[in-house]
Amino acid sequence: MKKALFLALAMTATTSLAAPFVYPAAWTADQNTANKRGGEFRNYTLSDFKTMNPFTSAEATSIPGTMELGAGLFMQDPRNNEFIPKMADGPAVVSNNNKRFVVKIRPGMKFSDGQAITADDWITTWKIHTDDKVGSNSYDSFFINDKPIVIKKLNDMTLQFDFPTQSSTALSIMSYTPWPDHVFGKAYRAGGAEAVKKMWGLGTDPSDIVSPGMWTMESYKAGERAVFKANKFFGEWNKDSKGNALPYLDKYSFRIVSDLNAGLAAYLAGQIDSFGASKADDLAQIKKAIDAGNLKSVLKANVSPNATSSWIVFNWNKAGDPAKQALFRDVRFRRAMSHIANRQAMVQLALGGLGSEVYFSTYPIFKAQTDAGIAAGAPQYKYDLAQASKLLAQMGYTKKNAQGYLTDKSGKVLEFNLATNAGNNVREQLGRIFADEAKKVGVKVNFTPIDFNALVGQLTAKGENRPFDAILLGLSGGTNIWPFGVNVVPCGTNLHSYNNPSDGKCLTSQEQLMTKLYYQGDAELNTAKRLAIGAQLMKTEGELQPVVYLVGTNYHVTFNDRLAGEYPADLMDAYYGSRNVALTFIK
Amino acid sequence: MIPFLVRRFFQAIPTLLLASVLIFFVISLAPGDFLTPARLNPGISPEQIANLQASFGLDKPIWVQYLYWMNNMIFHGDFGLSFQYTQPVLPVIWPRIVNSVWLVLLNLVFFYAIAIPIGVYGAVRQNSFGDKAINVVLYFLLGFPSFFLFLIVIYFILQIRNATGWDIPIGGMTSNNHDQLSTLGQIWDVLKHLLIPAAVLAITDAAGLTRVIRGLMLEVMRSDYIRTARAKGVSERSAIWKHTFRNAIVPIVAGIGGLLPAAISGAGFVEVVYAYPGITPMLLTAINAQDLYLIAGFTVISTVLLIIGNALSDILLAVVDPRIKVG
Repeated sequence: MKKALFLALAMTATTSLAAPFVYPAAWTADQNTANKRGGEFRNYTLSDFKTMNPFTSAEATSIPGTMELGAGLFMQDPRNNEFIPKMADGPAVVSNNNKRFVVKIRPGMKFSDGQAITADDWITTWKIHTDDKVGSNSYDSFFINDKPIVIKKLNDMTLQFDFPTQSSTALSIMSYTPWPDHVFGKAYRAGGAEAVKKMWGLGTDPSDIVSPGMWTMESYKAGERAVFKANKFFGEWNKDSKGNALPYLDKYSFRIVSDLNAGLAAYLAGQIDSFGASKADDLAQIKKAIDAGNLKSVLKANVSPNATSSWIVFNWNKAGDPAKQALFRDVRFRRAMSHIANRQAMVQLALGGLGSEVYFSTYPIFKAQTDAGIAAGAPQYKYDLAQASKLLAQMGYTKKNAQGYLTDKSGKVLEFNLATNAGNNVREQLGRIFADEAKKVGVKVNFTPIDFNALVGQLTAKGENRPFDAILLGLSGGTNIWPFGVNVVPCGTNLHSYNNPSDGKCLTSQEQLMTKLYYQGDAELNTAKRLAIGAQLMKTEGELQPVVYLVGTNYHVTFNDRLAGEYPADLMDAYYGSRNVALTFIK
Repeated sequence: MIPFLVRRFFQAIPTLLLASVLIFFVISLAPGDFLTPARLNPGISPEQIANLQASFGLDKPIWVQYLYWMNNMIFHGDFGLSFQYTQPVLPVIWPRIVNSVWLVLLNLVFFYAIAIPIGVYGAVRQNSFGDKAINVVLYFLLGFPSFFLFLIVIYFILQIRNATGWDIPIGGMTSNNHDQLSTLGQIWDVLKHLLIPAAVLAITDAAGLTRVIRGLMLEVMRSDYIRTARAKGVSERSAIWKHTFRNAIVPIVAGIGGLLPAAISGAGFVEVVYAYPGITPMLLTAINAQDLYLIAGFTVISTVLLIIGNALSDILLAVVDPRIKVG
């Protein structure tokens, strides 16, 4: 009895002693000095939620993705991109050539139902994510080069991660959200993957939902609104710099609007508190409403580039048309095409002035990496029609026919087909601008928008004779740790779209070098060294020009005056967003 | 009556079978599948795509998928699994259908309340200034793209809100504080959200029916039996509503069967523009995402309702027009 009492006392002592995670004061431009608490942040989303289940969810804005805010072993500091311990009690202990990470869990954390968060929750979550029958979107993040990452429980509060190779993204991979073992583990052990898939559909009673993060479900109305309430146990281990429990808000809600115009209308009417304006027209309307005094809002345009870009890729595998294959494989041709791309006009005309020029697969938002690349001499083939003509002349295209198109010795016109997905107005405009500029130097571009799915089928086709000439498309996403695509850069991967023969082999020495640099950088833990490897990769890629990068959209911030606690202006960007919801409060 | 219904039931079987084949295979004809966009995601490996294909059954030949689907539908009442929601189709679409039904019903009330009196007025006061004026306005609205009109209405509501501060809803089906309201307050809250979209939709659609009623009324009014009735001294009111109108609407009653599937098919673009949680926005997303079973399941349900609706029309016709007999 005495022993039990002592144990109980000791346990309460450790919980009360457990240090909370403190959100730095520098993360907010607007300190909550008046101790304002409560209220609702009314956000919006463009498509209806599909599930509450964290293992089957695949949406950009999702219910589990909202609940899990603030729940991860580590998180990136927006000031310097460094990882800091969040649910971890301190930095990971690294051994075995940087492949083994031992992490202690912060004591005193609880799920929204009051149950303690322990190592079992991480183990179960990992097991379910990596069961291929579940179909989790996170499946791939637990493998490196098809080799699994192994996670072990050393004791209730200690985890051990074993990576198959050294990885720069290790801390990010370890930062996945732990979901309750007493809910999902139980179901999984009883009924396997099928049982997990059936859980937490949209019809689930919100009071049955258990969250480890900042928010938990309050209500969901199909196609209308999802309301989250603060997880009261989150505030026990998350404090602001003055020791107040976080989040300040009571509620966080999403109004579901099926189209951007409806979203803009709701924002202008003051029914929602923030809006992701992307078009010049939307920004103009918001500005007008603010100037007229009808809308009390903050509007910041062109805060940063977005982590996305449009590009044109040329097909190197055209065995059926050897002349075109030779053309597309000629580096002078691809450099000429980059010189033809009038990126400034594209930003002005297709993006209404709200965009950035892009020259590399690394998006300009990842500034540290792009700056390092340019400093290392990564070339940018800027708009220069004279230079393009010169390069094409070197290839033997000196004569023009009656229509003004360049021809080779046999009189064959220099032309190719360029496709993009129909219905995407911006891409259609980009393609037209490119085709118009190409005509000026005598290159005939047959530009046709086609069905999106057919286009993706062409782009991802493998083999010696792939079914396209050139495709204009865009990719997005990625992290600022190692901002190169695992499926894009290495030879043989499915988005290595310029050269994808059936054996998946590299064609040029530059591709081989890029593949090597990709894996080398991915494994490098030292940030400076990794940036240097990335710079070499950018230089090689820039010289090879397998893909001509064009432009990317920009990120704009606008939010209602009643909200406070946003990031200082220099921390806002498309990657970190405009605020940490934990520090947001209602004035 | 009973033999009529039994015959209808047996006729419906091949119709439904053929419809299901068409629905399923036409949807599958589109290039790509639900997972196509995932192939462009730099973070998803080909192995994972293959896993997902297997778990959705997309790796099997299309006719095998069809047989599985039919089998589950006929013997288990299961319309398949929505890929996006990873949930059975029926519980996913049901709340949306219910929402749409409210909007469509209110819209129909407005629709008939506008079209019938104006149509009758137009026939009785043929070519009067009022008749012409109403026609011009209605035709203008009919020719206007409806979604554009909805956007203009939203614009004006925003202006009114800004000028007066009135809380006129411009989207959705309920207010933020809906759950805290009393039952009566909740009903009023939903009605408030429904009124504008339902009315705007009814006004834009009314021109067509007005014209039909006007024409039918004119035709019947010129017939001998109306002249006889009038000569017998039947009151003008009775001549118009009891004798003329009842005979004139027979062709309209014949079309009422279409209302049943229309009620669950949602109100179209108005739902998208007003961010109304009806079935249309969901179907548009499903088509975009190639969520095969969601689209196919919904289409089968509306086909069934169309068949039931047509049978109902026939029965209604017999009620309105004693010359027509069922059975």
